[in-house]
Amino acid sequence: MIPERAMEPYSSVIAEHFRRPRNQGPLPNANASAEGVNPLCGDRVRFAVALDEKGTITEARFVANACAICVAAASLLTERVQGVVSTMAREIADDEMLRIVGEGVPTARMKCATLPLETLRRALARL
Amino acid sequence: MSEVLEQFSRVAASGRPAALATLVAAAGATPKKAGSTMWVAEDGSPLGSVTIGGCVDARVIEQARAVIASGVPSLLRMSLGDEEAWELGLTCGGRVDVLVQRVNGGDTSDASAAAYRAARATYENGGASVVVAHLDARRERLAIDEEGATVGTLGMPWLDERAREIAAKRLAVGMSSGIEQFTHDGTELSLFFEHLAPPETVVIYGASQVAMSVALFARELGMRTVIVDGREKMANRERFPTADAIHVGMPSELAQQIRATRRTYVVLLAHDYKYDLPVLREVLCSDAGYIGMIGSRRRGASIRAMLEEEGFTTAHVARLRTPIGLSIGAKSAAEIALAIVAEIIAVRQRAAGALPMTQPSAIAASP
Repeated sequence: MIPERAMEPYSSVIAEHFRRPRNQGPLPNANASAEGVNPLCGDRVRFAVALDEKGTITEARFVANACAICVAAASLLTERVQGVVSTMAREIADDEMLRIVGEGVPTARMKCATLPLETLRRALARL
Repeated sequence: MSEVLEQFSRVAASGRPAALATLVAAAGATPKKAGSTMWVAEDGSPLGSVTIGGCVDARVIEQARAVIASGVPSLLRMSLGDEEAWELGLTCGGRVDVLVQRVNGGDTSDASAAAYRAARATYENGGASVVVAHLDARRERLAIDEEGATVGTLGMPWLDERAREIAAKRLAVGMSSGIEQFTHDGTELSLFFEHLAPPETVVIYGASQVAMSVALFARELGMRTVIVDGREKMANRERFPTADAIHVGMPSELAQQIRATRRTYVVLLAHDYKYDLPVLREVLCSDAGYIGMIGSRRRGASIRAMLEEEGFTTAHVARLRTPIGLSIGAKSAAEIALAIVAEIIAVRQRAAGALPMTQPSAIAASP
């Protein structure tokens, strides 16, 4: 587990989801997936979703080699889109994502928080 | 695949006997190494790269045809004049010893073929072995792998056991092919130990400045180099012109795909939890011969603690070398890279006197 000291700069939400990410791991029966990367810092995340016949996201999972903010954002996003129709999920705005992640995201790290959302959008655009 | 084993496969597939000529010794300052080989088909045509050049070829080919016909191995000992020596790359006259033996992959009773078949299986599994040959007309051969498992015999149980002891020592330090001489009951014996191992590979996670120098030094030492990073801007041909492979992707998934054997040396240079932890989760349980991570003592302790809390055993976590490299007072990226590559060699050679960064530095304490 990540030591308390290392998590001090982050909010309790980020720390919790980085330490115990929800829905982490591959999704073999995915209907859509995409991989996103921050070319400068190297954060890399793959987001995958499974949908039912009505286009509702029944399962969302992610794999990430990324910083605490990015991992937490991906974890929170999997919970946010569960049960959401894919067309609605595509409309989630960056601002909402930042609100979900909560306080503790420095301005310079906004991209870390929105990378999973950008990746989800690209995955859903392939449907 | 090693050249000799690749060519063995081709010869075995042909179902026809061929002669294998192996340079077992060369006296003189030669660039040719013991273990260099040339295959000769029944019609006298050489197969693969000819490592024994010039006028010696003719003598080897002539002898090879006789060996194929008789099945009796032969040791050619050739003294060279200055002119002949020059052709071979020797700076002055000397001597080359070439063992010529018949290898028939289609003959199940062929001891040489059985030994090379065993060595090939070990090699394909990522392991090293030696094929031991008499340096005379005896046809018996013995293949010995790193675990001490053997295929074949040298004809006498005590000799097999002696060969196993010697092979174990040679394999432990990755010694190249060569002759071993020893005395038994007053009789001097010579055996040729042919070292057959996959190339050593340094896999670098994190295409940093230090990584660029590690890749260059490792390459210079004859190791394969593989670069892994999530960023194309960092892991590319421009920065790593000599790398054997560059992979851009999810480092932890690439770590799953890149098979790590004892001859694989894993170096983590991202200096970032986001790559270090996911990659370590994959490589700590692998067979990698070396796992080192750049970072301070404190950072190393923190990462070890995290991994132990995740369920990794103390033994697994203890495999991680951090701080990385030998203690040489390295400051610049190139110096740190040199310390890392030196530590890899020290680990491979089991050099007892080497001082890892993980130990208090005796050098610093000396006047």
